[in-house]
Amino acid sequence: MTLTQNVKLKHMKYLKIENHKGFYRLDTTVENWIELDQINKDHLLSLLKLASTQVFEMDEYNDELLQNPAHNIIYRNIYGKLNDFLNNKTRFQDTVDAMYKTAIEKYKI
Amino acid sequence: MKKIDLHTHTVSTVCDSAFDFDISKVKEYVEKLKIDALAITNHNVFDMNQYNLIKKSLTIPVFPGIEIDLEGGHLLLITDTDEFEVSNFDEKCKRVSDLIKTKDDSITLAQFKSIFTDLGKYVLIPHHDKSPEIKHATITALNPHITSGEAGSVSKFKRMFKEQNGLTPVLFSDMRFRADLKDFPTRHTFVDLKEISLAGIKSCLADKSKISLTKESGNDFFQATDDGLELSTGLNIILGERSSGKTVTLNKIASSSGNTKYIKQFSLLQNDEATFNRTNDSRLSIIYNNYLNELKSVIEDVVQIDIKQNHLNIESYLDSLKKFATENEKKDLFSKCTLFSEDIFSIDDLENLDKVIESVTTLIENNEYQDIISKYISADNLKKLLLELIEKAIFSKNENEEKIWLNSIIKDIKRELGIKTTNSIIEEIDFYKIALDEIKVRKFVEVVNELKTERQINREELGKFSIVTSTYRISGASELKDIAHDKKAYSPAFSNYHNPYEYLLKLKETGVEEASLYKFFVKIESETLNKDGFKVSGGERSEFNLIHEIKDATKYDILLIDEPESSFDNLFLKKEINTLIKNISELMPVVVVTHNSTVGASIKPNYVAITQKNLENREFVYRVFTGYPSDKELTCLDGNKIKNYDSILNCLEAGIDAYTERKTQTYEILKD
Repeated sequence: MTLTQNVKLKHMKYLKIENHKGFYRLDTTVENWIELDQINKDHLLSLLKLASTQVFEMDEYNDELLQNPAHNIIYRNIYGKLNDFLNNKTRFQDTVDAMYKTAIEKYKI
Repeated sequence: MKKIDLHTHTVSTVCDSAFDFDISKVKEYVEKLKIDALAITNHNVFDMNQYNLIKKSLTIPVFPGIEIDLEGGHLLLITDTDEFEVSNFDEKCKRVSDLIKTKDDSITLAQFKSIFTDLGKYVLIPHHDKSPEIKHATITALNPHITSGEAGSVSKFKRMFKEQNGLTPVLFSDMRFRADLKDFPTRHTFVDLKEISLAGIKSCLADKSKISLTKESGNDFFQATDDGLELSTGLNIILGERSSGKTVTLNKIASSSGNTKYIKQFSLLQNDEATFNRTNDSRLSIIYNNYLNELKSVIEDVVQIDIKQNHLNIESYLDSLKKFATENEKKDLFSKCTLFSEDIFSIDDLENLDKVIESVTTLIENNEYQDIISKYISADNLKKLLLELIEKAIFSKNENEEKIWLNSIIKDIKRELGIKTTNSIIEEIDFYKIALDEIKVRKFVEVVNELKTERQINREELGKFSIVTSTYRISGASELKDIAHDKKAYSPAFSNYHNPYEYLLKLKETGVEEASLYKFFVKIESETLNKDGFKVSGGERSEFNLIHEIKDATKYDILLIDEPESSFDNLFLKKEINTLIKNISELMPVVVVTHNSTVGASIKPNYVAITQKNLENREFVYRVFTGYPSDKELTCLDGNKIKNYDSILNCLEAGIDAYTERKTQTYEILKD
């Protein structure tokens, strides 16, 4: 991986591990990281929407790095689910591209 | 000349709508219509006992036959009447019955030939200009055994007759001898034979000059009612005083002729604009439905989504996750098990893969564009591609099966552990589905916003009129009531019209049925404009209706019009209607009942019928006199005659005296 790619990916990161804790953010243009145990349903939904539409990067789950046990569980669970989603993103994108395509084309002037 | 009907039904099969057979109707039919030979041709079945019963009860030859579903079309197969042949035929027909069990079944040509090995001894008549037709290739393959084809109507018979080197046309009743039958159909064929025999019929069917629609009048006439009234296959005018039986005659023609377009008296008159628009809109329902079809499918899908529930699911998932995380220190024997906090496997949706397989299969199976396809992808590579995709599909489907099986185990164990433990359980959640639902709603909004752009969606020219259909945004809750044809309170829904998804939910809350939701997003209206581009007036609406009805008549076999003058003024009748009626009578038989001299005298019909009611021996006797317009006398079937000129003036101009008076005094004075 080149340095530029690394920087780019860093900029597309939404979930990270730091100081034994998990963090998330909803805007990659600012370093506004929030502790993962603070996450609410609106933010989780926003993360899911971002994962479905943007290049979405996360620090891989690492049991040793996440010493905070609550953070460890929440990170492992959300990371696992988002990762599963991202693994199916090509299929998801294909479905989205085909979705209501004939209707949109028909009614577009 | 002998009158034959070789296509009749006496057994209700899977191919018919149910009916009760009544043998007395066969006798009545043969006597009333003076039939010289009959064939019993039920769908894919031959009932020998019933056939023998019918044969015994009639004095005319009755041929055993069957109507076979062959390669998607219908074929009549008729054989001779001798006892040995009938029982042989019965055996063969049983084999056909064994192969055809539902109305969609059909036998192949090879099966047909293996059952009826000696085709030379039968008469074979395929549906030709009649649905469902036997394919041309099948007819060719049965050469030289097919010489005639069954036409669906008088006009189709004439069309086939004119075709050079075409099959000899025949017209048969295709009737069901049902117990509730009132008027009999009048579709028969005359063959030039002195004595009926299967061989004789067969030779006539190979020679167009030996068949005819009528006994003595050739193919320019046809039998219009079951009591023997013959009319021209062109334009006929029925005249007569009030209550002399004109409409009764027209009704009888309608019920004997099958596929009839009947324009009833006053039916074209439309002074009320709202009624006219409504009928117009129903005429355009195909355009309406075609235009909204895609929206309908989208809504059928979107309406299944429950975004609110999805959000609640995220909330409860997160709450349970956090609770589980904080309780981590207090884990007991049960919650310590790995499976307790294990996620279930997500199941792969293989719809896209199935679509790809279907597309590759289409590429392989397509013959029409095979040369272009093979220029870029070899048939071999396509097959390999298909094979690999199928392997992938099998693998993925197996994997899904395994995951479903494992999930059921994981869920069972988690449930049992959950009952025993004091710790919280993490709720299940499907991120893939939730994300997809969010996108669906977004795309639905996109679809509706595009749809709301007002536009003209169809323009149809009809004579001097144009019908323009356009879409409009909905401008108020009252328009929603018009769409729904009910009085529900649509204001709360309409206040969300700018937000399609909220609007959809509100419409559901209001009680709009899911299947009707698609009607509420745009208003579709059609406008009928005259040749100057203005909205049509009252009189023009009737004209438009007539032009529309006459255009529609081309889908039928015969056109009947009862008193067109009831809806129009004389000038329009003379200028426009007469031409229209004349033109359509070139395509099919047309019968016009009229009192009006403009229609009656100036339309120049091919044939005239005058109805009369007389009191004879204290009883009313109804008669129909017919003849050419130039005939001095018109004749009734019972031999009675009337003077043509006098009778026409009586019917149209209230008699000679009134006519002369009007001509010399009123019209001439006006002229001066």
